[in-house]
Amino acid sequence: MTDKTNDPVAMWQKMVGEMEKGFNSFANQAMSSPEFSQAMNRAGGVAAGAQKQLGELMEKYLVTMNLPSREQVTGLAERLQSVEAQIGEIKSMLSQMAANSGLSQGFDGTPRPPRTRRPPAENGDPT
Amino acid sequence: MNAPAGLDLASIPERIQSEVQRAIQRSIKGVEYFSTSGPSLGSTPKDVLHSRGTMSLYHYRPMSDEIYRIPVLIVMATTNRGYILDLVPGQSFIEFLLKRGYDVYMLDWSAPRPEEKSLRMEDYVLDFIPDCVRRVQADSGEQDVSVIGYCFGGVLSLLYGAIHKDGPMKNLICFTTPIDFREMKLFSNFSDRRYFDVDRLVDSVGNVPPEMILSSFEMLRPASRTVSQIQLWENIWNDEFVKSYRMFDRWATDTLPLAGEYFRTITKDLMWDNKLFNDTMLVGGRAAKLEDIKVPFLHAVAEHDHIVPYEAAKHLVAKIGSADKEEVMLKGGHVSLVAGANAVKRLWPKLDSWLGKRST
Repeated sequence: MTDKTNDPVAMWQKMVGEMEKGFNSFANQAMSSPEFSQAMNRAGGVAAGAQKQLGELMEKYLVTMNLPSREQVTGLAERLQSVEAQIGEIKSMLSQMAANSGLSQGFDGTPRPPRTRRPPAENGDPT
Repeated sequence: MNAPAGLDLASIPERIQSEVQRAIQRSIKGVEYFSTSGPSLGSTPKDVLHSRGTMSLYHYRPMSDEIYRIPVLIVMATTNRGYILDLVPGQSFIEFLLKRGYDVYMLDWSAPRPEEKSLRMEDYVLDFIPDCVRRVQADSGEQDVSVIGYCFGGVLSLLYGAIHKDGPMKNLICFTTPIDFREMKLFSNFSDRRYFDVDRLVDSVGNVPPEMILSSFEMLRPASRTVSQIQLWENIWNDEFVKSYRMFDRWATDTLPLAGEYFRTITKDLMWDNKLFNDTMLVGGRAAKLEDIKVPFLHAVAEHDHIVPYEAAKHLVAKIGSADKEEVMLKGGHVSLVAGANAVKRLWPKLDSWLGKRST
């Protein structure tokens, strides 16, 4: 078998691994400084402000183009959500009715297994 | 010229041949990689019991002839999708639990919609989780429920358990759950109150965008994404490697936005004031003290967790009020603790042996 210390592929992989560790460690040290936090948050604040302005601009553009606004699409999504929720409630009620009538079964109609399982004994045999 | 010590000259032709074959395979498989989609994830059969906005409650169909009396509710982290616990058959934590006879439910999250930016911590802890627990009780016909929380899902489960001290939670398991947020050094620096204006951010963007969450995770190990792509290219001839890479890469980049008000509370109460650790946390005006959790408790932490360092998680067991409590440290990282080949051998069997005897 080839010695790993002389295997170029293994050496390459080791080098990549070491570089990753070294760079991560160096970057983590740099990112631990208050100066980094200050610079990062200054940039982040600018980006957030720009995003807000862009959003408002897009809203106006959509109105001009006679396209549905986010509010209208959200309204439709809410109605759809409400229909889904009602279907969920009906399924839940049906399941509850089935349970009350003594049938232990899931949504797919198959009977549920009994809740009688015991943990295996310490030697691995089921009790 | 003599060969360097340890170099087997006879193996060189064989090695060159193998590398040439791999180079050819890389070209073929490289084309395949971009022309195909990854494996189908989260496909264990399940029913949606309830769905409300960002919240979904699933019930997984039993895979055993006989199940434990106490059902299990998994609370997923709000930053990521629940399918990390249900990757593919053979590497699915959910499937493992089902085959071991547990009745499994999951509280999973989807991206909060713009109008859900006002969701607060109390909506998660005093509404979503209790609502799901009630539905699990109704669906299973059992009063007791075991709860498993992953990462920030663990924090939510702790808050829920601390406030609802009279039940019905029967057992609590947390995976890689931070409580001392000062010890999440980089996150703490990123959100330094002197420079990070959380009010301005939330007021500007509403929900915190997923790109921002993903960037902050990736900044913890900035070289790792590039290196993982180099490793993918080196191993692209290896179908198993590629399958695993695609599963984890897809999940890791499938980050969720966070509801604005909820993010504001996380930043102010947890990152800045460390209230959970200091026993001063209030959720909707109700005190959440870890000493009030008296149910059997297990905390699994990862030895090489770069997202939740051990320092941020190590005081949890000591602060829990239960007499029956245990911490287990396993090899692996934040994700490999719960999913993938390591988890199959380490965490899952440990969890089964701990929870099985507490589930009857």
